[in-house]
Amino acid sequence: MRFQRVSKAVVVGAAMALALSACAPGGSETSPSASESAGGGNAGAEATTTGLADLGDIATKDGAIKVSIGAPEFISYNGNTPQTYSTYNSGITDRMFASFVYFGTDGKIYPNEDLGSFEKISDDPLTIKYTIADNAKWSDGTDITTADAVLAWATQNLNLNSGSKDKPLFNSVSTDLGDTVPKGPQGDPAGKEFTVEFKAPDPDWQIQTWMLHPAHVVAKKGGLSTEEFVAAVRDGDSKKLEKAAKFWNEGWTTKPGTLPDEADIPVSGPYKLSSWKAGESVTLTANENYYGTPAATKELNFRFLADSGMVQALQNKDLDVIGPQPTVDTLEQLKGLGSAVNIQQGDTLTWEHLDFNFVKGNTMTNLELRKAFAMCVPRQEIVDNLIKPLNPEAQVMNLREVFPFQENYADTVAAAYDGRYDQVDIEGAKKILEEQDAVGTKVRIGYSAPNERRTNEVAQIKSSCDKAGFEIVDAGDPKFFAPGGTQERGDYEVALFAWAGSGQITSGQNIYATGKPQNYGKYSNAEVDAAWETLATSLDPAVHAEQTKKIEKLLWDDLFGIPMFAHPGLSASGADIQNVRHTATQNGIVWNAEQWMRAE
Amino acid sequence: MLKFILKRLGSAAGVLLAASLLLYILVINSGDPLGDLRESNAENREYLMQQRTEYMNLEQPWYLRYLTWLTGVSKCFVGACDLGRNINGIEVTDLLANAASSTLRLVLLATVIAAILGIAIGVLTAVRQYSGLDYLVTFLTFLFFSLPVFWAAVLLKEYMAIGYNNWLENPQISLGTSILIGVVAGLVLQMLLAGSLKRRGITFLATAIFVPLLLQYSVWLNFYRFPQMGPAVIIVLTVLLALSATAMSVGLKEKRVLYPALITAVLVLGMYYATFWLLAEPNGWLLLGGAILAVVIPGLIGKLMGGRLSKAAMGVSVTVGLVGAGLTVLDHIFRAWPGFLDLKGRPIATIGSSTANLEGGFWDHFLDNATQLLLPTIVLAIISLASYSRYTRSSMLEVQQQDYIRTARSKGLSERTVIFRHAFRNALIPIATIAAFDFAGLIGGAVVTETVFGWKGMGDLFNTGLHAVDPAPVMAFFLVTGTAAVLFNLLADIVYAILDPRIRV
Repeated sequence: MRFQRVSKAVVVGAAMALALSACAPGGSETSPSASESAGGGNAGAEATTTGLADLGDIATKDGAIKVSIGAPEFISYNGNTPQTYSTYNSGITDRMFASFVYFGTDGKIYPNEDLGSFEKISDDPLTIKYTIADNAKWSDGTDITTADAVLAWATQNLNLNSGSKDKPLFNSVSTDLGDTVPKGPQGDPAGKEFTVEFKAPDPDWQIQTWMLHPAHVVAKKGGLSTEEFVAAVRDGDSKKLEKAAKFWNEGWTTKPGTLPDEADIPVSGPYKLSSWKAGESVTLTANENYYGTPAATKELNFRFLADSGMVQALQNKDLDVIGPQPTVDTLEQLKGLGSAVNIQQGDTLTWEHLDFNFVKGNTMTNLELRKAFAMCVPRQEIVDNLIKPLNPEAQVMNLREVFPFQENYADTVAAAYDGRYDQVDIEGAKKILEEQDAVGTKVRIGYSAPNERRTNEVAQIKSSCDKAGFEIVDAGDPKFFAPGGTQERGDYEVALFAWAGSGQITSGQNIYATGKPQNYGKYSNAEVDAAWETLATSLDPAVHAEQTKKIEKLLWDDLFGIPMFAHPGLSASGADIQNVRHTATQNGIVWNAEQWMRAE
Repeated sequence: MLKFILKRLGSAAGVLLAASLLLYILVINSGDPLGDLRESNAENREYLMQQRTEYMNLEQPWYLRYLTWLTGVSKCFVGACDLGRNINGIEVTDLLANAASSTLRLVLLATVIAAILGIAIGVLTAVRQYSGLDYLVTFLTFLFFSLPVFWAAVLLKEYMAIGYNNWLENPQISLGTSILIGVVAGLVLQMLLAGSLKRRGITFLATAIFVPLLLQYSVWLNFYRFPQMGPAVIIVLTVLLALSATAMSVGLKEKRVLYPALITAVLVLGMYYATFWLLAEPNGWLLLGGAILAVVIPGLIGKLMGGRLSKAAMGVSVTVGLVGAGLTVLDHIFRAWPGFLDLKGRPIATIGSSTANLEGGFWDHFLDNATQLLLPTIVLAIISLASYSRYTRSSMLEVQQQDYIRTARSKGLSERTVIFRHAFRNALIPIATIAAFDFAGLIGGAVVTETVFGWKGMGDLFNTGLHAVDPAPVMAFFLVTGTAAVLFNLLADIVYAILDPRIRV
């Protein structure tokens, strides 16, 4: 009974309350309209080259664009120590530091004229003259000068050390400038011009880093004036530099969620650090003192988010741009969002290949067997089944040093490869195996497991090559590259892995020349060695192109290995965000973040 | 008791030490800390490997590495913890502080909600064993219990975040939908209130008619974008509460209870106007102070006016006071909602614990935190709620079979007294153990929930550390979760003693 009474009372009371309060509809009469869809897909400035598009005369727009490229937390303003270096950290710090050059979407090198210019003034010895723009300043108003270049050189100089080269003063990821440019940047420390003189010709001279962190901050923290700092670096006075080096190594790495003092983190690029919430996001704000083309949007917010949450976050507009690992599932989900998002697909500068083992005694030292194997590997089928779902434009790669999307690809292929392994030729392979009396040859394909895509590749190779008389064994192993692992022991015939292209011209020498550290299969060919030597000591692009053709042809004739395909890349952005462009380089989708803006 | 606790603590320390050694060895052997560098084609790969080897002491034998770590940890006893640095050179102590606070925020509310609701549902289903309600709840709890977290989270995001936000852009409820909701609500309510067939019918009809009307009215009011309550609704609700609470406890005839309750209701209205500007932009302490006053003042009124019924009077008045204060706060939240929507157009986010760089005042941040917490809390709560309700139900059923319950009933005690005073307290004993373990487990981080919702808590600390074969963060994780497990175990024992006089020594 009591319950009944109470429930009656509640009903009556609620009705009374509604009547009493005499509420009126809230808000304006017109209901808020659903947000308009921005037509025209990826509108915005049209890019004519693989470099940055010309946005014309733009002013920074208010608002924030939220982006996530992965789960790893922001580490440090200085992302150039071995501890702090990561592509995720660089995705953020690269927005803050101007450099003399940048990579276009196909890995081509473009000069950054905002910061200044450079020209080669002598071939022998290789001497480059850099000129910093007159109006180029750090965000705190200090001029960007030669002193900053001296700092960049000092941090990459193993000759500044405490005792031996194992213990460099500056703990940096790149270390060779001290030897390749013994004297460092020459010029008035307070001036805007400097020259660097290389000891030996360096075809990759353009991409050496000559501008990074603010010298005046490092000097001050080291208890020196900027002039004293520069003098100490040039004199090789390690003792005097210790404190400054310690600051460079550790001083910028702070407790998660706490940024260093604002005075200590001036920037030379279009964005500066403004806030950091540990575990959540880092926000960059446009540098109002930037001397070049201003950032298109005032704030960039980098969220630390694992791939699994990215698509829905994009759908819910919690994020505007996402750069997940490319998987077919993610792509399907993104496609399901229809016109609300733009999807960027394309190749990356990372490429997959099958490399033979040339260690003495291995069956694959026999060129005929390598040929038979190359004949039965279904490259086109692998690309069709595994890569095309992610990148419809994907194609079989026929070179090692040049990618299909680069301009000199067709030319180089024409000179180096006649298409003999384009079609799977089971009969041909069978014939060779019979001639060589090698039917039933066991081929262990090793790779670093678990890797679903590679397992599938091996399965497809197996189904094709087993028909020709090989016995393909999936030798995937988590410890493939570990010390004492399959690779080191040489317990494989074919290794399946990928190299990440760095944009360097000479990096391949480490892979294909005799005795080099990345020549895992111990391949050796005097002609190839000589061609690399010619390439690496020349500064002439024509020589580079010619030698590349020569090397590629030799590597095909000799069957060093079989290139397969460039890894696909994937990213997506809200339909209202303009100027988001795919890039093949490791910089990832944020490479032109300073150009992103929200459509009106 | 003290000796018992000390003995337990001593053995726990031993277990922790042994476990830490085991875990350390397992972690450093779980993979190749240089793995990412081995596949790199950086020119100075060797140098980088050498740097990392030196930095992480990879060349030292395992016992030296462990001892280094242990020495650092032992400094905790002198207040200078050194948990080492992670692979990126960040102090693990700092990482741990962030991770722990984020996890606590995430799991604390969820655990409390799950425990309270779960126990309530368990008691209700035990009392109404084999009723329609029991079957329905049993079905639902098994459903929730077997939900994969990942999947549940994705569904919640799809409907409660993306779907809700889309709907909120122009909130409409069609007539058909309103009727459907009304029918479902009617069915559920008649099941809950139970009674004779006639009463069930009336409950169902009343709800099925009232709810659709209410929904249409709310749409007309544009309530979902511009919610409003106002003092009129607050006073009506509090007075109604005062009346019904009095009726339920001692009956409306007892003026000693009724008057303090009504006075409190009037006071609530007074306070509504008095604090209006204060609460428009409050802070946490102000709200806490308000809550304390909302308990103390009605309590005093009840005590002074209640006479021999002072206990009941205090209970009723405090309830009215608290609910009234709660409604007042809710009114301010309603007022802040439209402004909040201007700042954050899509209120329910799918990721993170707060919106970066959100402007606005106290209520905007309050609402932001609440909306960010909503989904992960529901996911976590719904899943542990299932186990709480099942355990409570079976424990209650078991207790109800006991002789002393029959004795209590035959003594003529009211059913409420039998259930709450005699059965429920004893049924809680096994639940205490479960709750303690559950909470200790949750501190360890809800790895999947954290990952899906983009929170960097304890689970993430562990996961990232393990993937990088980086022992320091993993061990820090172990230190906290291991200690929590041990402490909560101990706590469960103490709670046991409080709940069950038989094991008090």
